[in-house]
Amino acid sequence: MPQKLKHHTLTGLMVLPLFLYLLAFAAVPLFSCVVLSLTDGASNAFPSLDNYRVLFRDDQFGQAFQNTLWLTSLGVSLEVLLGLAVALVLQRLVWGRAFVRAVVLTPLGLPTVVAGVMFIYLFSSTGYVNEFLYRLGLISAPIDWVYGGWRSLGVLLMAELWKVTPVVAFILLAGLESIPETVYEAAAVDGAGAWRQFWHVTLPLLRPSLLMAVVVRAIDAFRVFELPLILTGKSFPVLGTLAYSEYYEYDNPFTSAAAATVLLAIIAACIGGYLFLMTRRPMEGA
Amino acid sequence: MKRTRWSFWWHLGSLPILLLTLLPVYLMLKISVSPPAEVLTPHPTFGLHHVTGEHWKALLTSGALWPPLLKSLLVATWTMLGAIALAAPAAYAIARLPQRWKYPLLLSFFASRMIPEVGVALPVAVQFLRWGLEDTQLGLALAHLIRTLPFVVWILAGTFETIPVALEESAQVDGCHRLQILWYVVFPLAAPGVAVAALFAWLESWNEFTYALYLSLTENTLPLQTYYYVIRGSWFDAATYATFLAVPVMLITAALQRYLKAGYLMGALKG
Repeated sequence: MPQKLKHHTLTGLMVLPLFLYLLAFAAVPLFSCVVLSLTDGASNAFPSLDNYRVLFRDDQFGQAFQNTLWLTSLGVSLEVLLGLAVALVLQRLVWGRAFVRAVVLTPLGLPTVVAGVMFIYLFSSTGYVNEFLYRLGLISAPIDWVYGGWRSLGVLLMAELWKVTPVVAFILLAGLESIPETVYEAAAVDGAGAWRQFWHVTLPLLRPSLLMAVVVRAIDAFRVFELPLILTGKSFPVLGTLAYSEYYEYDNPFTSAAAATVLLAIIAACIGGYLFLMTRRPMEGA
Repeated sequence: MKRTRWSFWWHLGSLPILLLTLLPVYLMLKISVSPPAEVLTPHPTFGLHHVTGEHWKALLTSGALWPPLLKSLLVATWTMLGAIALAAPAAYAIARLPQRWKYPLLLSFFASRMIPEVGVALPVAVQFLRWGLEDTQLGLALAHLIRTLPFVVWILAGTFETIPVALEESAQVDGCHRLQILWYVVFPLAAPGVAVAALFAWLESWNEFTYALYLSLTENTLPLQTYYYVIRGSWFDAATYATFLAVPVMLITAALQRYLKAGYLMGALKG
């Protein structure tokens, strides 16, 4: 018994520093963010919904909210489609497999700032996309890509796709590789062609990986910050950049915290939804 | 077999993937060695016509590079050491817990990776201002650990799990006490995994932007310095700084390639 007790003490001592750290630097700040968002900046009254009232009346917030939802929903859908295509190609490559894998991985490790810089070169009004379209004869005057609205959304989607499709591709590739060859052989014996195999064997068996990819990407996509800050700035606010400018430009930590709390609530809902789906179909989540 | 007949088309399919992935990288490199006349015009050129080293010379001689570089290097190193010191013991203990404890615990640590940075960075910045940690290397390293730790714990718990408990038991039979077992049996076997985790931690800090933006007043890190040139619209400085940032990253990712597993990627890198 004392031996066992000692064992537990040692385990406790080993986990404790990490636990305390995460408590102090993740849990407590998160809590203070919510408290801050419920504190009236002028009178220090708590709890008060004033910050949220100010925020919800603000045009920028409505835009940022919509933009974030569009960017996430379109971004994640496109990433999954494109990521699946890339994963299928990677799985079937025989020649140059290692090289293509290494290239596909490149954007994933790069700092997001660097990706932002690259896409400025592509999408500025004297940038390479305009020049490309001009040489094809499709446009005669340069397009202002980051003017706001759909065009800015498109630019951000491109940059996001470039940066994170590899994550999705590699999650799905691992899923594809875990499907045993014998399943395909059995399907082929039953007379299923390539397309039917994909539709009736690959996709259903890939569902846990697809679900994981969607959730992982959705949580990240809601928090999108650096790319909009660098590429589109004020013309296309998202919740992250709105929270930043509330604090740094308008010097209002209270509304900034409120914007961040809205973001937090969306992410919490997303995680909750995932856990719900996982527990409802326990076999598929593993 | 049917698959082999299609093989050609699948290989052809890899060409657009390669092209689209590499094109932005190529343009950045090209701009960093191109004369302004080729770039700052309504009709920039795609090919490398004249190569110039002037932007790279400016980067190395202007003196603006060294303080951010030093700060980034040191903060990344502190983050790496701190991550291993805090995460390695915890990951070992977690790896030896029964299954029903292990995964809920690891997942709950992971929750701290899902927090929006703009939400946490604000209270942390306010608190650091009180503690005098704003604008210090220690403060920034502490902030970088928020994102890095859960991930490092995740990798290390996976590493320790692969070390059979039977090895530890036989060492115990031979008369080792628990700390000796950790030092002489577990640690040497886990060293490669620890090295991988350490490199990831270093990389995360080197790449990190948001906390640095909130916590730096006067001394920039390299990503912040790059952002500064972006705001100023200096295309060539942005290109050289961004390339400079990217080089160590590419080297490390190339070295780590075979360790990248889907499980790691789950929370690994964000967009």
